[in-house]
Order: sequence, then structure tokens, then C-alpha cells
Amino acid sequence: MVSVQSPPGGRETSFARVLLLPAVLMAAATGAAAALVAEPARIPVAVTGAAATLVVIAVAAEAVRRGRAAAALRLQHAREIAQLEQRLAAHDDDILHLAQELMPACVRRLQVHNQSPSEVMRAMIDGSEVYRGLPHPQRVLLRNVLRIVDREEAMRDSAQRAFVNVARRVQTIVHKQSADLRDMEEDHGRTPEVFDDLLRIDHGTALIGRLADSIAVLGGARPSRKWPKPVPLFSVLRGAMSRIMDFPRIDLHSVAKVNVDGISVEPLIHACAELFDNATRYSPPHTRVHVTAHEVQTGVAIEIEDAGISLNDVVRERVERKLEEAKAGIDVDDLGETPRLGLAVVGRLSRMYDMQIALRQSAYGGVRAVLIVPRDMLTDEPAPAVAHGIGAAAVQRVDDDGNLIADERPYRKRRPTSGPPLHSSRSMSPPPEDDVPVVTEWTPEGLPQRRSRVRGGFPHTVPAPAPAADDWRQAAPTPQKKKEEPQPGIWLEAFTKAANGVDVDSGTAAGDNGQPSHGHQDNEGDRT
Amino acid sequence: MSPPQRERRKQEPEGSNPERLYVLTGGTGGAERAPIDLVTLIVARSGPPPPTAQPEQAAVLRLCRRPLSVAELSAYLALPFSVVTILLTDLLSAELIESRAPITRATLPDRSLLEAVMHGLQKL
Repeated sequence: MVSVQSPPGGRETSFARVLLLPAVLMAAATGAAAALVAEPARIPVAVTGAAATLVVIAVAAEAVRRGRAAAALRLQHAREIAQLEQRLAAHDDDILHLAQELMPACVRRLQVHNQSPSEVMRAMIDGSEVYRGLPHPQRVLLRNVLRIVDREEAMRDSAQRAFVNVARRVQTIVHKQSADLRDMEEDHGRTPEVFDDLLRIDHGTALIGRLADSIAVLGGARPSRKWPKPVPLFSVLRGAMSRIMDFPRIDLHSVAKVNVDGISVEPLIHACAELFDNATRYSPPHTRVHVTAHEVQTGVAIEIEDAGISLNDVVRERVERKLEEAKAGIDVDDLGETPRLGLAVVGRLSRMYDMQIALRQSAYGGVRAVLIVPRDMLTDEPAPAVAHGIGAAAVQRVDDDGNLIADERPYRKRRPTSGPPLHSSRSMSPPPEDDVPVVTEWTPEGLPQRRSRVRGGFPHTVPAPAPAADDWRQAAPTPQKKKEEPQPGIWLEAFTKAANGVDVDSGTAAGDNGQPSHGHQDNEGDRT
Repeated sequence: MSPPQRERRKQEPEGSNPERLYVLTGGTGGAERAPIDLVTLIVARSGPPPPTAQPEQAAVLRLCRRPLSVAELSAYLALPFSVVTILLTDLLSAELIESRAPITRATLPDRSLLEAVMHGLQKL
């Protein structure tokens, strides 16, 4: 009974030994018994003994066979277990691969390429040699995960769009209000009290506007506002100043005379405003923030130095990590509960427009932020002659001899101001109208005759300046008095009427008639 | 010289300058203003503008090489009167400009009037 598949070795011999011993014992016992018993019983005893020996051998053989079978079974069992374990390990590997490589790749594809889950499945699984045979359960798992991610993405998208939308609306209102305020500032430029209040409101509006811009940028949108023409860098930096709370602390030093391309103006203003805001916010309120801008190889470097707390390495690392995160496109919900929007906004903007930002220790002890503006944000086109900011524009209207150059500025109708007249009683100049001798008649001898407009008819060349300031104000509302005594402002009315092409005589006549031009005269009075 | 216009200057088309006026006045708190009115004449003291001057101040100094009234300055700079007064107040306190009362017409009689008087007297 030699088993072909049984491995050689101890097992085989042990079976043989087990088999041999009882057979030999049985045979010996049978031989002994046959020798000892009496002659007549010897044959049956020998036969019985032989039969018993055979039975023992048979039983032993059977036992050995069964033992062999059991061993084989055990062997097979062990082999199967090993195989199963191997499969389990392979399965674990598969799952690990799915979790670590395939699924992230699919999710990335979903997010970046904006594909639907089924599209991703088709492209990544069915379209690839390696994954075509992906087992069904893994497919199901993958598809479900993709579907969930897709839904989350959609929800986040819509949330972002919602607040970008809100921010845009706020921006619209703010822009409108800024324009209105600018108009009002023009209208009330002569009444300092109103003007100062308007400036305060204007400032507050600009702060709201920056916040709305920040929200829009964090929502993934680009700054909406487009500037139609190139803007000088100086104006851009001043624009940035005008959007922060503590702008008087910013000192603009040597600013390179370059112009910023119209479409890049808004992001640059916004980024600078955020950096200015950081600089003023995290430095003592009595210190100044110094800003310079120099041309460098790659564009323009704007340096913002404050005298605040210097950045130690740990803080700097954190800040730079924050910037990096922002560049990588952090989610809005990563900003935390008390968001420090500034750096996130700057990071986002610098990623969108390829600006570079570095934070270093400042010579003043604080932080020096360097913003490198790439050359493609700048332009060689000349900026339009803006009204203020670059004062050179104003000077260009005067040529070398000091003569004025006419300019074609468009004019627009001024709305009348109803505020109190800006009339300085402390003025160094007596109202000139009282000094103007009016030559209306000539004597027969050819001498000019002066006629005073004052009722007394007494010609005075140097009237007291005081009455002009106060008296007429009380006099103005009484048309009665007006008929007799022309208002001090009347010369200007005649002047402007002439300028507007109205016949002076008819204009004066209307004024003399009292009522019709009365309101107008009041306005003129405001202007003296 | 063209006759003065009553219409207000039009600002540059909306959005060609990001600066706001309060940046020029250096604060939104009620700033002090020197007693200047529209007809005050401003003349720069000699010397080039200091390099630290704001562009507007430099422009004022350049425009005022000859006496110029505040009203004209305001028009050339396209800045409201209140802003110009603040600029001028700063310049006055830095002693870079002087303000003068305008020369009234009474002190400078019309030449034709004088001639007429002269001729009339000669005829007597």
C-alpha cells in the first residue's frame, strides 16, 4: 500500500511500523499457542490463530489507510486555508488600492473635469485595461461614493454661487453709492461740514465694498469690476488705501511710474488693500506703514513694511502655509468661525493672477510683505489724464510759459446746493461788487459820471466789508427790499447770464421785477 | 479766455480712477481749514516742491508759480473746493505757499476810465 501522493518520510515508516508490530505479535502468539496446545487441538488453534492474525493485519491495514486518508484530507484542508488566506490578502490589497488610488483618481476627475459619476466610471474603469475586470462589489462601492461626492460638490457649488451672488449684489449697490457719493461730494464741495460727512460715508461704503469683494473672491469668483483704461500704479495703491480703515497711516514712498492694465487693476487694488489692512491692523496704531514699489525683472515689487510684531519662524510658517492653502484653493468652510479673510483673499488672488507674495522680517521690526506683480498685469499704454492722484495730469494743462492749455473736459450740469453759503466774513477781500464803479452816464463835457447803486446816492469806494456778509442774508428773502437795493450777488448773475448767452439787460430787468429770478439770485448769492 | 461755465465739471467717466477723495484729505475727521475762500490768491514760494509732497501738492506748487485763485486751482485740479482748501492748509502750514487777498478792482481802476477822466479834464 504505497501512496503515490504521500510525501516520503517518517509518516510512511511509522504506518508500516504500526502495521508490523501487531501482526508480528499475533503471529508469534499463534505460533506459541500452536506449540503449547495438545496435538489434536494444534490444527484448529493454528487455523484460528492464522485467521486472527489475518484479521489483525486487515484491521491494522484499514487503520493505516484511514490514517493516510485523514492526513491527505488535513493536507488539502491546510492548502485550502492557505489559498483562502492568500485570496483575502489579495482582496485587502485590492480594497486598499481602490481606496488609495482608484477612488481618489476618480473623485479628482469628477471634481476637476466636472464629469458626472457615470462618465467617470466609463472613462476610468471601462476604458482602462487594468480596471476593466473590476469586481462588481467594488464597482458598486465606487459608483456610490462618486454619486455622494457629486452631490456634495453640487451643494457646495450652489452655496458658493449663492454667496457670490449676494456679494455681487452688494458690490453693485456699493458701486452705485460710491458714484452717487462722488457726485454729492462735487455738489457739496463748497460746504465743508456736509463735505466732511460725505467723506465719512464714502469711506464706510468703500469698507463695505471691500468686504463684498472678499466674499466674492473667496467664493471663487474673479473681481467683477473692470477699469476701462490703464491706471497708474500710484492711483492703484491709493485706491487700495481708500479701502481700508486706517489709511492715514499708510505712507506711499517712491512708487514706480508704471501703469496697470485695466483688467488687472481691481485684483491688484484688492490684494494691496488686504495687505495694507493686515499691516495696519497688526501693528501699533501710532506707527506708520511704509509702501514702496520698484520695478524688478519680472514686474513690479510692492513692499509693505509695518512696525508691528515681527514674525517669528513658527508664525511665519503658519502664515505662509495659510497662503499656500489659499493658493491651492481652500474651501470657504475651511476658514473657520472667525475668519481672517485677508490672507486667504490675497492667496486666492495671487493664484488667479500669478502674483507672488512673500512675508519677511521688516527692517522696522515688523513684517515686510512683498507682492510681486507680474509684468503682464502692467501695460505700456499711457493712463488717461486722471483728475487727481497723479498731479502731473493737472499740471499738463499749463504749458512752459504758464499759459493755460484749454482742455476738452466734458461738462455737466451742476445741481444747485441748498446748504448755507460758504461766505467768509473773515475774508481778506471785501466783496468786490461794492467797489465797482458803474459808469453809466457821461456829462456833456465828456466826463464820465459815476452813479452809485446805493440808494443814498453817495459814491463810496471803500465800503465797510461787514454788512455784505450778514445783512444781505436777512435781506434776501424780502423781495420788497430787493427792488430798491440790488443784491450784492447781482453782478455775478449778470455775468453768468452773459456767459450763458442770455441778454444782460433782459436778465437784469427780470431781476428787477422781483419774483421770477429771485430764487436764482439766491443761488447766485450762495456762490459768492 | 473762455467764459466761465456754470455747469459742473464732469468727472472722468465712472471708474477711471480708483482713488477716493478722503485719501487726499488724509482723514475723514473734520480737518482744520485755513481761512481761504474761492477768490483767495495762492502763490507758491520759490523752490521746487519737496520730494515728499503728494502729487496734488506738487501740482498746486507748480500751478501757483503765478498767483492763482483757489477757484481756478479747484477747477484745474478737478477737485472740490473743500479738498483744495485742505491741501492748501497743509501747504500753508508747511510754508510752501502764501495766500493773498485778491486785488480788488477798486484799487486798480479801469484804464479806459482813467483815460476818459483825463480827456474830460483836458477839455475843461
